Amino acid sequence: MNTIKGTFSRRAALVMALSAVCFPGSSAPQGTDIAIVVRPDLPVDNLSFAELRRLFLGDRQYWTSNLRVTLLVRAPGARERDVVLKDIYQMSEAQFKQYWIAKVFRAEAASGPRIVYSNEMAAELVAAMPGAVSFVEADQVPKGLKVIKINGLLPGQKDYPLH
Amino acid sequence: MKCIVPVIALFAMLAPGASAQTTDPATKELIEKLLSRIDSLEKRVAELEKGTVAATAAATPAPVKAAQPSAAQAVHMSHEAAPVPQAATPETAPPVYPVLKIEGFGDLDFSATNLHGTAGGFGAQTLLAPHSGFEEGQFTLHFSSALSPKVTVFGETTLTARSDAGTGTPPAPGFNAEVERIIVRYDLNDYFKLSFGRYHTPINYWNTAFHHGQWLQTTISRPEMTQFGGSFIPVHFVGTLVEGETPAGGLNLNYDFGLGNGRGQVLSRGGDFSDINNNRAWLTNLFIKPDALYGLQLGGSVYHDSLNPLNAPAAREWIQSGHIVWQKETPEFIAEFANVSHQPVSGGPTSNSQAFYVQTAYRLPWFQKLWKPYYRFELIHVPRSDAIFRSVVPDFHASTAGIRYDITTFAAFKFEYRHYVRRDGPGIFGFFGQTSFTF
Repeated sequence: MNTIKGTFSRRAALVMALSAVCFPGSSAPQGTDIAIVVRPDLPVDNLSFAELRRLFLGDRQYWTSNLRVTLLVRAPGARERDVVLKDIYQMSEAQFKQYWIAKVFRAEAASGPRIVYSNEMAAELVAAMPGAVSFVEADQVPKGLKVIKINGLLPGQKDYPLH
Repeated sequence: MKCIVPVIALFAMLAPGASAQTTDPATKELIEKLLSRIDSLEKRVAELEKGTVAATAAATPAPVKAAQPSAAQAVHMSHEAAPVPQAATPETAPPVYPVLKIEGFGDLDFSATNLHGTAGGFGAQTLLAPHSGFEEGQFTLHFSSALSPKVTVFGETTLTARSDAGTGTPPAPGFNAEVERIIVRYDLNDYFKLSFGRYHTPINYWNTAFHHGQWLQTTISRPEMTQFGGSFIPVHFVGTLVEGETPAGGLNLNYDFGLGNGRGQVLSRGGDFSDINNNRAWLTNLFIKPDALYGLQLGGSVYHDSLNPLNAPAAREWIQSGHIVWQKETPEFIAEFANVSHQPVSGGPTSNSQAFYVQTAYRLPWFQKLWKPYYRFELIHVPRSDAIFRSVVPDFHASTAGIRYDITTFAAFKFEYRHYVRRDGPGIFGFFGQTSFTF
């Protein structure tokens, strides 16, 4: 009996770990701030929220004359994408897709954002591509990337706008 | 996902009721089985980890997660934001140019009006036909290709159904092929972009917002003042443009300065093959998109050209226009105004023709937000003294009421009723339907 009870205790942690593997979405904390990440060598540390919106709308396409902005956006279904659509774009999923089709059709952009499928993938590409910008859960920002301040605030600080 | 089953079973057992220690042999047997299953899974995980380590050691780049597309497969957003793998190049490899992308638009239309005879002056795409029936709209292909990080080519071609596009006598129905836009643009930065090509003239909002993508616009057809095949404003412009955007203290000031060939002898046509005189047309277009009112666009334009029309005296043309747009859908609001002045070169009074439209729509919050009713009022006034316009531009006012239903994110049905009151002819009313889509 004690063996079985002990086994349950020992296995409980394993079950939790397995469930975390099987249901990764369920482990994402709701309400975590979303961090805007870039390469450390990008010459920008702070953006106003309006500047961030222009960046994500594709209205601002260059960091500097020789450095084009490459926008990396999570695929549909990610909480990070939902937050960005709600807070920055103020668009539904359908409106977002239509927006970028129209943007390219108007010859205002050569292409839409690049799609990434995980925070790890976003981080990997941001680190590899000069000018790339993406967004990840604030508690999952990998080492080696720079978090951009929004209105002078970092994720976790009061009044930070993306959560 | 195979691991879900044992996990769920274990969850059930760890629940208070199930965790009560029992001597039931069946339960005991089940527990033993599950423990054995966990052991085998642990063993399997260990084997996999071993394999991963070995694979990592063998491969130089960072390990790539098997269950997800790799970073190298990151793709530009397709219509469904679906993964369309690019060539599996290393993440840090420079992009390969040119990068061509193609999008398509199409529409099929139905119209039934009380019109008996021709609707003089209205553009073909207004769908005012003397017989009811289905019409093939436009089949549009849009190309965009980055030639380098700073040089991009855009193209738009259409195949348009016409009653007189076929060969022979009498003219037979068929399709007209047209290069609507072809633009090569060099971006210095956000403030300065230089391009050459054939454009939709950037002197009003609609002309550069929706182009030939019927699906992009809420209504079935364009306002008549900017209609394809219409003559009120020059829809096309061949030449060069300088454009850019500057923050301007949160106003986000955008500008276009253009120089190019003016209208052709047929006013609805641009100067595709040189100009018809030695006076280039020029334009200035300014608009703002203030940060404080996200969704608002406000702007105005000036355009000048010298005209040598086929059936009217030569004249200097000035166009002044303005627009105010609320680009969201709850509500959507678009209003534009244009004044066209014609000064005969040989002297005589200047005539001024005006046009405006006001369109509003609202995406309903019910039924999955798929329905969007709309209304548009439009007016074109051409004084009889305007020798340039009086035979090719209709004088009328009209109301359009309709509803748009988005059957998918990329296709829509539209139904509308229109009523035209014409100065020089009987009124026209009709019902119109359209399915339009992008692909």
